[in-house]
Amino acid sequence: MMKTNQENNEVIMKLDRRAFIKSAAASSAIATAAAIFPGISFAEWKKQEGASGMITWKKAPCRFCGTGCGVLIGVSGDRAVAVKGDPNCSVNKGLCCVKGYHSVQALYGKDRLTKAKVRRNGEMVEVPIKEALDIIAAKMKDTMAKHGKDSVAMYGSGQWTIPDGYVASKLFKGCLGTNNLEANARLCMSSAVTGFMTSFGIDEPMGCYEDIDYANVFVTWGNNMAEMHPVLFSRMLANRKRRNNVEIIDFATRTTRTSQAADRSILFRPQTDLAVANAICYEIIHNNWVNWDFLNTHVSFHKGKTDIGYGTEDHFAFTDKEEPINFEEYKKFLEDYTPEKVEKISGVSARDIKYMASLYGDPTKKVTSFWCMGMNQHTRGTWIQNLVYNIHLLTGKISTPGNSPFSLTGQPSACGTVREVGTLTHALPHGGVANEHDREMAAKIWDVPVSNIDPKPTYHTVEMFRALDRGDIKFMWIQVTNPMVTMPNLNRYRQGALKDDRFIVVSEVYPTPTTDVADVILPAAMWVEQEGMFGNSERRTQHFAQIVPPPGEAMSDTWQLIEVARRLGFEKQFPWSEEEHIGKIWEEYRRFHEGPKHNMAPYTVLLERPGVMWPFVDGKETRWRFNPKHDPACTNGKDFDFYGKADNKAWIWARPYEPAAESPDAEYNFWLNTGRVIEHFHTGSMTRRVPVLHQAMPSSYVELNPEDAAGLGVINGEMVKIISRRGSVTMPASINGRGVPPRGMVFVPFFDESYLINEVTLDAFCPISKQPDYKKCAVRLEKA
Amino acid sequence: MKKAADKIGKRTLALAALCLLGVGGLDLAMAAPDIPHTFDAGGEKIFRSYNATPQEYMAADSGNRNLMGFYELRQYPGSPPRIPHAVAQSFSEQPDNCLSCHAKGGYNAELDRFVPVTPHPENELCTQCHVPQRQEGLFVETNWQSINPPKLGRSFLAGSPPPIPHSLQLRENCIPCHTGPAAVTEIRVEHSSRGNCRQCHVPVISTDPRLEFVRKQ
Repeated sequence: MMKTNQENNEVIMKLDRRAFIKSAAASSAIATAAAIFPGISFAEWKKQEGASGMITWKKAPCRFCGTGCGVLIGVSGDRAVAVKGDPNCSVNKGLCCVKGYHSVQALYGKDRLTKAKVRRNGEMVEVPIKEALDIIAAKMKDTMAKHGKDSVAMYGSGQWTIPDGYVASKLFKGCLGTNNLEANARLCMSSAVTGFMTSFGIDEPMGCYEDIDYANVFVTWGNNMAEMHPVLFSRMLANRKRRNNVEIIDFATRTTRTSQAADRSILFRPQTDLAVANAICYEIIHNNWVNWDFLNTHVSFHKGKTDIGYGTEDHFAFTDKEEPINFEEYKKFLEDYTPEKVEKISGVSARDIKYMASLYGDPTKKVTSFWCMGMNQHTRGTWIQNLVYNIHLLTGKISTPGNSPFSLTGQPSACGTVREVGTLTHALPHGGVANEHDREMAAKIWDVPVSNIDPKPTYHTVEMFRALDRGDIKFMWIQVTNPMVTMPNLNRYRQGALKDDRFIVVSEVYPTPTTDVADVILPAAMWVEQEGMFGNSERRTQHFAQIVPPPGEAMSDTWQLIEVARRLGFEKQFPWSEEEHIGKIWEEYRRFHEGPKHNMAPYTVLLERPGVMWPFVDGKETRWRFNPKHDPACTNGKDFDFYGKADNKAWIWARPYEPAAESPDAEYNFWLNTGRVIEHFHTGSMTRRVPVLHQAMPSSYVELNPEDAAGLGVINGEMVKIISRRGSVTMPASINGRGVPPRGMVFVPFFDESYLINEVTLDAFCPISKQPDYKKCAVRLEKA
Repeated sequence: MKKAADKIGKRTLALAALCLLGVGGLDLAMAAPDIPHTFDAGGEKIFRSYNATPQEYMAADSGNRNLMGFYELRQYPGSPPRIPHAVAQSFSEQPDNCLSCHAKGGYNAELDRFVPVTPHPENELCTQCHVPQRQEGLFVETNWQSINPPKLGRSFLAGSPPPIPHSLQLRENCIPCHTGPAAVTEIRVEHSSRGNCRQCHVPVISTDPRLEFVRKQ
């Protein structure tokens, strides 16, 4: 294995023995000087002038993924100059990843946007930011007057701070009265939400990262944690090393660093995780590994609609219909999923299916399942979440230390802002727009007439961009996200955004393909250039102060929204001073979550700690929900209380295997799978401006199976054209590189705006969650 | 310098074999049940490394690493260094890869160098923090600045032992970086026979603000 890898090493800059010796010789003279004059330094980076040499360390959550590592940012003067892991933060205990350690360098790219720009006669011209805010408010007013309130929209992000999302929701849903509010987290975790809601009736994981320190078996479901959640993955490795009873099973469609580190790597054909999960349940029941006490007390059985479609057409609508079933009906449903039958569908041997079932079924083993985009970006995303919960519910391996079905998130505040504040078309900070009580609560806290809040959701993200293309939406304000790289079937949505009477506002920190389609660009404050909070995957809210000033006229997204809201006449709803607004917003928002199920920590507590988990009740964080030993919201007097559902039970769902929206055929004969790499976060607009990260991963590539590459006559680095029914992209081949897809699949990282792989992907989505599937569509390949 | 390196090289090459269970390949046993091994800034590691590393290896000096090369791989004082040599893209996460050299030290014939030893071999997912450089040049220019690295030899009195100028986080163990043939020349200790480093050297973090003690009346 290693030999093959080293032979395929051409793309790597080789610092071979000769270069090594040369560099040593060149610096030896200076080395001598340094030995004579201790104190002289020879570091490569530019030295800060007039610095005292002293560093002040300030706490913050990391800017990048959803893990939520605590970092300490070293400040000298008014600049961030260093990073270290926060040893007091229980998430990462002082360790970061390569992105976190170099995160502060993302603040200092030479092309930071520091002035507002407005399109005049086709050219972007700089204007004072106040003028740009006037233009935005006037355009919103005008558009709503001409085309109705639902012709303006806001598209935000799981990288919004909690106050960003809260003021956006208050302005759009409470004041303007439109539910045209979405966030890129729809593309990232909405299937996780609908999974929790359908199985438990309340969102977000019951467990926490501490589960890693107790579990004996980890199963990563389509989840390359070694690259995407490295800090949690290395905690798993450390546990495996420290205890002799830990194993890691990587269950995936492609071989990755996680497969390499795992004790067992099991590959399945795309989409067939549905069948395998059902087969595991079949085996658990067949072998009587069921935890009957748990099942009889805490679980009820249900089924929903089948053959539910893929949403590729405009105006697609779907509402699931739940029907209760009993255990015998559920057991009968599983008869289609014997390991032998599923082996044929999935390519996973019956032996491996039985092996996985035996791990979940072994009463002496604590099992934690981890997943992220593989299960979320799935046209049956809600179903596969239900099915993995089924496994944990049949065996009663849930809500206790180490027994944890754990849905990870990919963005620093996908949970904190999008899920908890509810910045999606159907949601409110508490509950949803369709619920009268939730609307009344929001109207009361927001000080707006309840009639302002429209009970009918409008557009989910894909449909919102379709509405922009059709012309139903004329104005869109985009903050902290880069949809002109990330939307699936991108050609259509870019052309839509560029149509004549569409008006696009983009708040950004750097030029991106999305600022390219903007009519107004607002320079945004980034991360610790503003005060705010993020909320990570384990229900942890993490506050950061403004640590360095934003450059030029750059302004926080929260304050941009407040400025525009005031210009639209909502001074009463947005009364806060610039100095105090974050604390005031937090305390107002916190009222939505009062009560033991979701109480949030007060502002003063958030200031002191590197993150606080909710429910935060009587000064205590809740680590394991639904478990009365840990969760004060449990009131039924039993060993568990699944209080999210009206029947106080967790729900097992009979969900069948259904194929992907588009599978390879004679003409388009390869699967296309897309994703991330450890060096880059999302579209790379921040991480590519960090020297170490760019130099380690300068451009994207297409991973091919070596045999497919040989069949195509392509060697490492040669160009391959990837063609789908929607578009094509030509990019260099990577063979036996970072990951190896099985025969018949290619994989492309999406961070590189030079190779827009989303012009090739399909905008099919899960009909329940409306989250698109970026992992599966059909392509053909040509040697370019 | 080459001569010296040759001489020591031969002697230490033989030693390298002896060191297979050397500097870093430690199983950290806890001092007592329920006492975290991280107490006292992980100082336990120093004693274990000192015990496990042959004295001759600690005393050897190849002279081919210096402070300039050390900082060339870093973005600010204390940042995780880049990997300065070629690695296959799919370099495995298995501990017998990076750690097969960097946990133990010894001589690498291919690069004709002694291998620097990691002070934190318990962290196995090396590429979580350390990445190679596959290309020079930037995506866009940067305005990045940082402060000067700590100055060397800042003894408080002439001839007194210098304090430890850097944070101990992930660098709790002195032995891997400050002794042995791959140690950076400028920061090698000349008295590696003494195993209780913090008997004389105490952390006075050069970048931390000094707080004046004011006695309350």
